[in-house]
Amino acid sequence: MKFNFGKWAASRIGSILLAFAVCFLAQFMLRGATDYSRLLFSLAGLYVTLAVSLNLINGITGQFSIGHAAFYQIGAYTGALLASTVFKNMADAANPLWLPIAMVCGAIVSGLAGFIVGLPSLRLRGDYLAVVTLGIGEIVTIIAKNQKALGEAYGLSASKYPSTVFFVVLLAIITIAVCRNLLKTAHGLSFLAVREDEIASSAMGVNLTKTKVTAFVLGSAFAGAAGALYAHTKGFVSPTDFSMDASFLILTMVVLGGTGSITGTAIAAIVLFIVPEKMRDLPPSIAVATPVGVAIAIITSVVILKKIQDNFHGNPYKRLGMNLGVIAGGVVLAMIMGRLLVLIPTFQSTINGQLFRMPVLAVTLVVLMLLRPQGIFGHSEFSWSWVQKVLGKRPVQEVEVAA
Amino acid sequence: MSLLRLDEATIKFGGLVAVNSVSFELNQGDLFGLIGPNGAGKTTCFNLITGVYAPTSGMITFNGRNITGTPSNKIAKLGICRTFQNIRLYGSLSSLENVVVGGFLRHRTTLGSALCYLPGAIKETEQLKHQALELLKLVDLDDVANVRSKDLPYGKQRRLEIARAMATQPQLLLLDEPAAGMNPQEKMELLQMVKKIRDELGVTVLLIEHDMKFVMNLCERIFVLDHGEEIAQGPPSEIRNDPKVIAAYLGEAV
Ligand SMILES: Nc1ncnc2c1ncn2[C@@H]1O[C@H](COP(=O)(O)OP(=O)(O)OP(=O)(O)O)[C@@H](O)[C@H]1O
Ligand SMILES: [Mg+2]
Repeated sequence: MKFNFGKWAASRIGSILLAFAVCFLAQFMLRGATDYSRLLFSLAGLYVTLAVSLNLINGITGQFSIGHAAFYQIGAYTGALLASTVFKNMADAANPLWLPIAMVCGAIVSGLAGFIVGLPSLRLRGDYLAVVTLGIGEIVTIIAKNQKALGEAYGLSASKYPSTVFFVVLLAIITIAVCRNLLKTAHGLSFLAVREDEIASSAMGVNLTKTKVTAFVLGSAFAGAAGALYAHTKGFVSPTDFSMDASFLILTMVVLGGTGSITGTAIAAIVLFIVPEKMRDLPPSIAVATPVGVAIAIITSVVILKKIQDNFHGNPYKRLGMNLGVIAGGVVLAMIMGRLLVLIPTFQSTINGQLFRMPVLAVTLVVLMLLRPQGIFGHSEFSWSWVQKVLGKRPVQEVEVAA
Repeated sequence: MSLLRLDEATIKFGGLVAVNSVSFELNQGDLFGLIGPNGAGKTTCFNLITGVYAPTSGMITFNGRNITGTPSNKIAKLGICRTFQNIRLYGSLSSLENVVVGGFLRHRTTLGSALCYLPGAIKETEQLKHQALELLKLVDLDDVANVRSKDLPYGKQRRLEIARAMATQPQLLLLDEPAAGMNPQEKMELLQMVKKIRDELGVTVLLIEHDMKFVMNLCERIFVLDHGEEIAQGPPSEIRNDPKVIAAYLGEAV
């Protein structure tokens, strides 16, 4: 694999054009959409950025940070504040140049905050870092709630922009591309090395503090850029938007997608944001029998799936078939149990379906952690060779060996 | 001029003096053995030399430069690299990637060019991969270049650690029990490999090993530690017959 400049330039230009095409397409498709679906789409895109940027810190560099929403918040307040002060003329005139400027400002301020927080705290290990970052998240929220200039509990308002969708998609693509680029080079391997073994990395000449702080600053900067877009997507920023819940949601996306896997994280971000949102549409009253039946079916299927996973190592097609069979069986079981349980008077009372939003999320996570503790994608990336490997078509042999 | 010099290096962990006033000197091109019973302080000596711990007192000099208390990563850049007694590979990275990380310390491209995937960073990565593959050939692991290192058998993991350390292009290589857990056949191959590293690549080697036959066959000079203190120092023939060494290893054939 010799480096070829022409090929490199062609593929770079191709990818950049494709990225812009995707951004325009997203903007174009959502032009007639309701405000609500536009908001949902944008937020999902922002969560992709947030999760992928946290993955750089947690998954790739192995630093367990759990206060990522703090940097999202700093970016959001920076954007909103600048739009109402320094850049007022530009922002009020809905000048399309304002959004990229806002993103850059949000990124710089959050990146700086990340540096200030990261430099001392990244010397701490594991749990300590988690506690510190959790605390930072709370501190930032409390400061926002109590500062007159930051609108106290009400927050700040910012004008809504029609072109946020374009930039939301662009930012997500940039974040993914940057992380992917990093992992394709030796620099990225040194980040992974820090995750894998700090003592060995240090002995190999890797500067631990520098690597960790770099990852932290980059991750925070992307979250800050996302925050600046959030302000103009939602039209206002309020301190409660960036609570611990938001941080945990982002963290869950990383864990569920597979720590270290960029594609896994991006997919998990979309699913974990959209599914609970859509569950707001659940009917306001359902019989208690239904959730109970579903729970029984889930427990049964998980136990069987786990048994298959532990005891059956053979033809992957056969295993896939068995797994799908068990899942289908689980669905049928859930329906039957639901119908049967309704016959018993105690299970006939009804409850509000929307209450299930969070429990469903929790159950999904528990089930996943039982069946696949390394996350859906583990450390691997989604690619065709990966699909073939999973399906057991052929063992993947990379080119380097032949070189 | 000596390559590495320990001057009365001492380290205390609370009340325990793990290494007590140890002094020795390594010249360019030496094949030097460090032996002693369990808990003698051998690994701790390595940790002092590579900057994992700073000595409580004493001085360490490398190439005429005082490196006492210099952080690990800087010491690696100066030209000392090591392997670990309790293997410390990057488990979920492939063998090739492990060795690439070793070569990374001499990188010249910036992080920015890596993040933007610029030609400089790509070429450098290709170069490092190429160098890594050559080193994998040296330790006879090129056939498992793309295998995750935690999936390798024990003996291969030990050799991979040597390749990774060699990738830093050290002047001085420290091997902490490289033959541990290997069968006689593997030990023979390892012996040849270490000789080759010294003879053909000109790297000075300091190694800790419990297998006396291995050390006596390989090393030209040996230093014996017991309870953190020097008890003997000299060529294998002398060490073998030293009464203090025999006493320290009482019950073990020396
Ligand atoms: N970080 C530490 N804190 C406290 N005590 C330590 C530390 N590191 C080493 N020691 C102690 O120092 C002594 C020497 O340990 P060291 O690991 O250097 O022995 P060793 O000669 O390498 O033995 P082995 O042959 O078992 O590897 C031991 O008693 C050990 O418990
Ligand atoms: Mg030891």
